[in-house]
Amino acid sequence: METKVTAAPIAKTTLIGQRVKKPDAPDKATGKTRYINDMVLPQMLIGKVLFAGRPHARIIRIDTAAAAKLPGVYAVLTGKDAAGLKFGFVRDNVALKDKVRCEHDEIAAVAAETEEIASRALELIDVEFEDLPGVFTPEAGAATGAPLVQEKFPGNKSLSFEFKHGDLAAAERASDFVVDNVFRPHHVTHCCMGTSCAIADFDHNGKLTIWTQTQYPYNYKMDLAPALGIDPGDIRVIQPPIGGAFGSKLDVYPYEPIAALLAKKTGRPVKVIYTREEEFRASPTRQAAIIHMRTGCSRDGTLTFRSADVLLDNGAYTSWGPTIPVIMMRTTSGHYRVPVVDFKAQAIYTNNPYAGSFRGYGNVQTTYATAQQMDMLADLVDIEPLEFHLKNAQKSGEYTPQQSFLRECALAECLETAAAASDYSRKRKEYAAARELPGRYKKGIGLASSIHNAGGAKIHKSDGIGTMLKVDDFARVTVITGASEIGQGIDAVITLIVAEELGVPLEHVTIVNTDSDIAPWDVGVHASRTTFIAGNGTRRAAKKAKAQILNAAAKMLGEPLETLELRGGSVVRDACGTPLIELERLLRRMHFQTEPELVMVSDYYEPNSEPEGAKHVSDHSAAYSHAVHIAEITVDTLTGEIKVDKVTVAQDVGRVINRMGLEGQIEGGIAIGLGYALSENMRLEQGLLKNPCFRDYKLITAPEMPPLDLHFIESNCAEGPYGAKGISELPTIVIAPAIANALHNATGVRIFNPPLSPEKVARAIFDAKQAGS
Amino acid sequence: MQEISSYLAPRRLDQALQAMADGAATVLCGGTDLALQTESGARHYKAKLLNIRRIDGLTGIEVKADQVRIGAATTVSDIRGNPELATIAPVLVEAAEHFASEQIRNAASLGGNICNASPAGDMIPPLLVLGASVELACWRDGAVQTRLMPLEGFFVSPGKTVKLAEELLTAVVFDRPAADFVARFKKSGPRPALEISTVSLALGARLSNGKLSEVRVAMGSVAPTPLRARHVEAVLEGKALDAASIAAAVASAAEDAKPIDDVRASAWYRGHLVRVFVEEVLNDVRGN
Repeated sequence: METKVTAAPIAKTTLIGQRVKKPDAPDKATGKTRYINDMVLPQMLIGKVLFAGRPHARIIRIDTAAAAKLPGVYAVLTGKDAAGLKFGFVRDNVALKDKVRCEHDEIAAVAAETEEIASRALELIDVEFEDLPGVFTPEAGAATGAPLVQEKFPGNKSLSFEFKHGDLAAAERASDFVVDNVFRPHHVTHCCMGTSCAIADFDHNGKLTIWTQTQYPYNYKMDLAPALGIDPGDIRVIQPPIGGAFGSKLDVYPYEPIAALLAKKTGRPVKVIYTREEEFRASPTRQAAIIHMRTGCSRDGTLTFRSADVLLDNGAYTSWGPTIPVIMMRTTSGHYRVPVVDFKAQAIYTNNPYAGSFRGYGNVQTTYATAQQMDMLADLVDIEPLEFHLKNAQKSGEYTPQQSFLRECALAECLETAAAASDYSRKRKEYAAARELPGRYKKGIGLASSIHNAGGAKIHKSDGIGTMLKVDDFARVTVITGASEIGQGIDAVITLIVAEELGVPLEHVTIVNTDSDIAPWDVGVHASRTTFIAGNGTRRAAKKAKAQILNAAAKMLGEPLETLELRGGSVVRDACGTPLIELERLLRRMHFQTEPELVMVSDYYEPNSEPEGAKHVSDHSAAYSHAVHIAEITVDTLTGEIKVDKVTVAQDVGRVINRMGLEGQIEGGIAIGLGYALSENMRLEQGLLKNPCFRDYKLITAPEMPPLDLHFIESNCAEGPYGAKGISELPTIVIAPAIANALHNATGVRIFNPPLSPEKVARAIFDAKQAGS
Repeated sequence: MQEISSYLAPRRLDQALQAMADGAATVLCGGTDLALQTESGARHYKAKLLNIRRIDGLTGIEVKADQVRIGAATTVSDIRGNPELATIAPVLVEAAEHFASEQIRNAASLGGNICNASPAGDMIPPLLVLGASVELACWRDGAVQTRLMPLEGFFVSPGKTVKLAEELLTAVVFDRPAADFVARFKKSGPRPALEISTVSLALGARLSNGKLSEVRVAMGSVAPTPLRARHVEAVLEGKALDAASIAAAVASAAEDAKPIDDVRASAWYRGHLVRVFVEEVLNDVRGN
């Protein structure tokens, strides 16, 4: 076959590091997207849940007769309908309870024709409770003779963790300075704009289809099955567009099996959707903790040890919350070069709401402590604060005491970049000197940094992903991937990578990733892993497809294989860019021949990392990354209000893939972190939530977002796609202690129990003045 | 369940008042409080839902030589954007600036903010220092009857006023402030938008030759109703505005503010903020 060469050469370009829009952005911005919350199926019933509304009680009697008789009600379920169907990490939960252990315990559920009828039916359920004394702090739960929250867990003891490295006593003796504080990170919740929602439907073969917001569709089946007493293989998970997850959808929560139990009972699809108030009360929280931390250093500023004794408020059931010590200890041992480490954590059952995973997963809480103690030590040692940080910053090639291998470590570069961009050292000195001067408004600057896994986290034995990719007869590419899109932007990353490898327009790439019967296996969206893991998986699959396409082209065109490349929608001569055949024509010819050759490839990618293991000594991620935030604030010393004037960010991102997505993730991460630092707080009194609404639970709103000065440090990760590392949790992790350190710089006060609300700040400043006068 | 048997949206005031005459109508204007309260169960709809938004003459800001009249259905946005008010009663515009959010300001009415009788109602303290009165109308003896009463006596407790169930608040009126009238409004909350006041404070007075007279100070969120701070006023009345009188005013603030602990703030913080704001607004006026 002859080669016609008429078109102009196609120059080599790259999409890596460009700004690429999220494929679903136009539909989301214009309101076209149909979220799961909008979905209506034929014959669908509405399920509603009766919550206990009290923290600890026996159910003496529950009478559902009147509710069941209400016209339009199709099923009423109570604890006896879920008896024995235990689920959860330690099998301590059940979809419908026969005993109340926390305020939002689900004690009955109805399915009815409309939400109105379902609500009326709930009002008709007559329950007699016998209230029991409860425990509402981990200290109270751990006390001798405390009421038991879970009968099978004596002493209210849930999970515990320990890691020791080196001789603590000797390290303490060798320390010239030791800081010793108790930090009390609080309860906050995810506040997804789309409230929790699931739609369940059984067919007559006993197979369940569940439309849900999950961010881990495959292990989800394993976790949901015991709550229903069915085979996990009989569950099909469909993931419609959702309004946020942030870690809250990394487990099964009772509304999901409740929807399924109601569907089973009625033989019709049943949708359970929370109101905003129900969402506040019944969705998971960030893990609250009490962290007793000590850090030592020598006079010359070399860290000598760090110890952490952590009590976790487990809440009434065990989800991901109490597993956060897995990451807490990595930060305790790996945030700067710490030669001696002593970490222990104990989770204690209480009658409070229970915690799930939440962006930053334990590291938000730990960094709030470690980064403030670094700032305290910086004031004690004989060297400049920045120098103190640099002196203890790990370098490429170092291992942490837990054997995290810092193959490419850019902590020092992050510190230097952020400090230079914000004029940190000068301002820190100047503001501290101005503390005692008259004036109502005080300026402060605070630096914080942290480390986080950036190449997945092998908490399971595998941390991999399956990818299938086909290129059809119009040269349109379909990527069938295990990677879930929960708003984080993996859709844009996958599209960009396919377009980069195959030289096709971004618009010619379609992603199929919402049906567990179609897409291959993956362990879910968590641990900042998806760009790293799915990015590698996509790239590998695309490379396989490319090899097949170029082989076919070489054969068809009679050109040497090694001279060919895909570029601008054509097969070109790599050296000069001369187009030889349009990709679309080539693919059509491959399809339409006597022995057609279809482009269909598959790939399984497993990152180069080690399972976490019981001893917690393993290189559990294929990459690690650091970020430095420098917050500049103005404090009204009378009202206690903190205005964040600017945040300078320097983060090791490995390599920028989609610049726009990266910026968005950092901005969003900081918004969540600022809420944690300044305003968000679940006000729990005796286990009851007092502010289940956005009026009184204060998210950061647009006018409060400070200007951000973003610096992306490209350390070029050997394992990551094009050198990229995972990026999305660090922004949430680092900002709060940067603000806390800035508050100290401005006013001399430190607050160990976030949020730094105006009242708390005003009170601390007022009390400090009283004490000083 | 709440059952609304009829929905009315009359054009004329007399029609509305006749519908209210049996005391069985829920008045709807902007709905920004009503919708939330009925949704949460804190309030229940009566049999009739009466939308007063379309009533002729219930909306608008009328500035006369001696008096200002604002129709009850006038939105907070209208007040915020009114150039005449910005000149003669900027304290009211200032409060409108800090009211909730753009969307809520566009819907919320002045009359609704008053009748909701929240101790944190943002428009109330500035109206109290302007010496405003409210006009109440009802249908009696086959005719529209109106009465005018000082706003200060209007509030009974959170959500409760002296207005009768058959009465409709139709307008707010206040005397056109004198040329030497000065006023300030302060509101606290941790964020710039969508914030329910932890504490609010308004000051209004005549300032002539450095001396204060006809002093009015109003506070929000420090008691079950918005209130006039009589002790602070007495301390300032007839005094020169100087460091000593400001200190005395700050010291007397606790006599007026009797805050409580709640989910939004402690009593200590509210009391503290009141002192801070009294000092701030007085210093601000003194600086001018």
